[in-house]
Amino acid sequence: MANRTSAAQRPNGSTQGKICQFKLVLLGESAVGKSSLVLRFVKGQFHEYQESTIGAAFLTQTVCLDDTTVKFEIWDTAGQERYHSLAPMYYRGAQAAIVVYDITNQDTFGRAKTWVKELQRQASPNIVIALAGNKQDLANKRMVEYEEAQAHADENGLLFMETSAKTAMNVNDIFLAIAKKLPKNEQTTGPGGSGQGRRLVEGDSGAKTAGNCCK
Amino acid sequence: MTASLLKNPELQFGATTFFAKEHKGETCGSNGLPLTPNSIIIYGKAQKLKMLKHPNLCTYLDIIRGKHERTVIVSQYCGEPLSSYLGKERFSYDDIKKIAYKIFLALHYMHMKKIVHRSLSTENILVQENNNIKLFNYGLFYMTDNGKLVSFPIVQLSYAAPEVYLDGPNGSLSNPKVDVWSAGIILAELVLNKPLWQSLKVGQRIRKVLSLVQGNTSIFERIAREHNCYDIYLSVPSDLKQIIEVCLTIMPCDRPTVQIILKNEVFAQFKTAKESNRRKIYEPFEQFTIEELYHWWQLAGGDVLLELKKQGLIRSSPPILSLPQMVLIDGLILGQERNPATLYDSRIIQMPLEALYQRFEHISLNCYYPLIHVKSEILSNGNDSSYDAEQLPLVIREKDPEYQFHRVILLRRLLHGYPHTRDLIITESIKDIPPLLRGKIWAALLNVRGDYQEEYIKIDKETPTPTDRQIEVDIPRCHQYNELLSSSEGHRKLKRVLKAWIYKNSQYVYWQGLDSLTAPFLFLNFNDEAKAFACLSKFIPKYLHNFFLRDNSAVIHEYLAKFSQLIAFQDPVLANHLENINFIPELFAIPWFLTMFSHVFPLHKIFHLWDRLLLGDSSFPLHVGLSILTQLRDTLLASGFNECILLFSDLPEVDMEQCVNFSLETYSTTPKSITARTQQSEKCVYVTTMGIPAQDLNKEKFPRISVDDVVNLIRNDSERIIIIDIRNPTQYARSSAKGSINIPCSSITFGEVNIENVGMHSSLLKNNKDKIVVIIGTEETNLDLFPTFLIHCNIPKVCVLHGGFNSLLPVTPTILITQNQI
Repeated sequence: MANRTSAAQRPNGSTQGKICQFKLVLLGESAVGKSSLVLRFVKGQFHEYQESTIGAAFLTQTVCLDDTTVKFEIWDTAGQERYHSLAPMYYRGAQAAIVVYDITNQDTFGRAKTWVKELQRQASPNIVIALAGNKQDLANKRMVEYEEAQAHADENGLLFMETSAKTAMNVNDIFLAIAKKLPKNEQTTGPGGSGQGRRLVEGDSGAKTAGNCCK
Repeated sequence: MTASLLKNPELQFGATTFFAKEHKGETCGSNGLPLTPNSIIIYGKAQKLKMLKHPNLCTYLDIIRGKHERTVIVSQYCGEPLSSYLGKERFSYDDIKKIAYKIFLALHYMHMKKIVHRSLSTENILVQENNNIKLFNYGLFYMTDNGKLVSFPIVQLSYAAPEVYLDGPNGSLSNPKVDVWSAGIILAELVLNKPLWQSLKVGQRIRKVLSLVQGNTSIFERIAREHNCYDIYLSVPSDLKQIIEVCLTIMPCDRPTVQIILKNEVFAQFKTAKESNRRKIYEPFEQFTIEELYHWWQLAGGDVLLELKKQGLIRSSPPILSLPQMVLIDGLILGQERNPATLYDSRIIQMPLEALYQRFEHISLNCYYPLIHVKSEILSNGNDSSYDAEQLPLVIREKDPEYQFHRVILLRRLLHGYPHTRDLIITESIKDIPPLLRGKIWAALLNVRGDYQEEYIKIDKETPTPTDRQIEVDIPRCHQYNELLSSSEGHRKLKRVLKAWIYKNSQYVYWQGLDSLTAPFLFLNFNDEAKAFACLSKFIPKYLHNFFLRDNSAVIHEYLAKFSQLIAFQDPVLANHLENINFIPELFAIPWFLTMFSHVFPLHKIFHLWDRLLLGDSSFPLHVGLSILTQLRDTLLASGFNECILLFSDLPEVDMEQCVNFSLETYSTTPKSITARTQQSEKCVYVTTMGIPAQDLNKEKFPRISVDDVVNLIRNDSERIIIIDIRNPTQYARSSAKGSINIPCSSITFGEVNIENVGMHSSLLKNNKDKIVVIIGTEETNLDLFPTFLIHCNIPKVCVLHGGFNSLLPVTPTILITQNQI
């Protein structure tokens, strides 16, 4: 059942092109579907009763773009407001972020806007931010209009898509769109992503050297 | 002779089965989640029925979900249906009065619990050998949410009150007075000694009942005339006749309630005041109950579904036969024959108990009465008839009927004596905890006592709060693989317990994870929310003191720092590796400790884990964490950061018994001060002596040990300790701890990580496995360098004496010596 898209697989046999590693963080109100989006993207699965995330979860996935292999190191964070104090630990040094809201719940959209603001203020200056309106499969119960979110995305220079982790709609696409937008010149990072982990916790010094592979 | 206690006619049970209504078409609710299957809703609702205990009600024992929404109800079943007596020897009027009294007692009890029978008939009233009567299958209407969750009508044709029919075929009228009417019909049948309207077809019977609405003469009289029994009608004693007549009042509003009927003079003769009053004062003790018998029966191989299959109640037909002829694109199904099995099948299958009797035949009578306090040696020697299974693995012991027999008999007796027997319960729990009694034993271990129910009732669990949204989104994803917790009843209860806890603990707030933490208690005490709440309220202060503060960062950081130190203390190789790849506990261990592992393991594993946890103090979870790392050690050591963190994002299978045993091992060999925290709630001597500033704690890789622990080790267990005095030789010669060795800090070059640099004592340290290496310095010497160096050299069990050498000075009698004395 885990049917990954072909885009998510390594090119076999071909000469290795550039390999880029990016740290990506998912943010958003709880129960909007952050973990479900990641699970759909990484394993091609969907769990109706996806457990809540405490602290954060980590997963990786690789996508191919032309001659470049992009490896996402994905931090999936806890949505509850109380876990907010942990969030900087995860978005610090991230080259990309997906801010998720639930299209059937206006409050989650409000929360998404605050996340965007916080990222623009606190995260790496070149961070690529995508806005994902999840649960598109419940469009008949929509509370957030597509146009409204699109307008917000345009104003703030965000990528925007409505997604559905359940039907897989736009899930790979949004990750691919991010991969395309990320700068991939002077690629240097080799295998072994431990560097990412180190940067994650070393605090400010890490934040300054963020994006060592892709700047 | 010994199984005689088991072979009690009361202790028999049977099963019935039916199908819940399937959801047609729409499979998702408004929140996008799949609709809860009706059989799950029934499963949750029916749990309450297990709580009904009344001499005139068959006890509900179990609800089992089969394939395709099948629901099986297991319940006590003893005696013969009343219907089988009709038409035979006539009951005397006194007997009928007695039967009436007992039926009304049972109905009264049910109605008090807000349960309406709705299908009372002579079929489901059982007459026992001792002439007692018991109602059977009285909860069907209740558990199916007034019949809404099944596709068949819950009604007994001749017995249903007229308003039931007037309510229509899908009616869900739940006025308890419908039961009064049915009782009236039953009494009329008993008096006339024949089933009513026997020869009529279904439609005609309904019409017959409805025709009674017309006219204004006595219904009982009309019924008697219709059945050619007017002579009998005339001979019925007036008090009994009057009861039947008021029961058969057409207008529900004029019909009396059961409570009023019971006050009737005719029943005065049966009332024995003492029985009910004594029960209130103290519960009678039973050696074992039918629930326990059923549990042993299952362990001994009893299988309800198998019996139902054998008897033809569950029949499987090839799936191809149930294919519809046409399915429209919107999901509408056409041309599918209705499966006759979805209709109600009233057959009851009695479960055979012979296998259990045989299995338990050799158990001697005194095993039913285990000795608890033995003062006589002869008696205690003679009492070794207990079943020897303690060496077997836990999972086997839990499945062994005989072992569980002994455990349940013993522990239920101890629980009966709680709180006075708490120490004995703890002693027995160290061996293991019988799953059947786990909820009660946990409550005892957590020291839940007093009128916890009263306390719970007083708490506001309903007023909306801003936290509700979070709770509501968390509950539908909390242990949802479990039938109880995924039922609507489970959701409702979990929400109430959580809201109660937050209301009661205003200094704390709801952190995600509290739901997972509450789930095991609710599962074990599903019919006693108050106890689940009481257990949670005892558990959190003990193990998670201050974890649910609005700002809990101080607690969590200290906890995780202690965890890192414990890893370094027990397994420096692993600690060094994790440090090198920067795999810090903050990234993976917060859900472990915040929920005491209840967010990362399924319920059956949490049970075995907490069985032990509840016997330890608040440092035990740290050892559990270490034990999990140890089980995954090889993988961790061979992996980099990404692989490690991925491993924990999707925690692999952990052998819980092994994990628990390993935790116990490190727990018992680690001095208490190593894991002592300032943020724990237990009164601990070390806490006052060891106020380690937070910045030091985070900096130090090694744990500190308290002076008391060191003195204790020197005095009582000097084989287990290596004391390294790192002061200069002059100070050492002047005064030092007994048995200590001197490795002056200044003599070592820390540049390269090589234990040989230590000099002559290096082999002692290199070969150390189990001894605790205590570093004694002074406040002036740099206390960080040397222990950190040792840990980097992979020397296990390194710790530093808190307070340094000077803290040994006030110890009396002294353990200090001067080297000149030797």
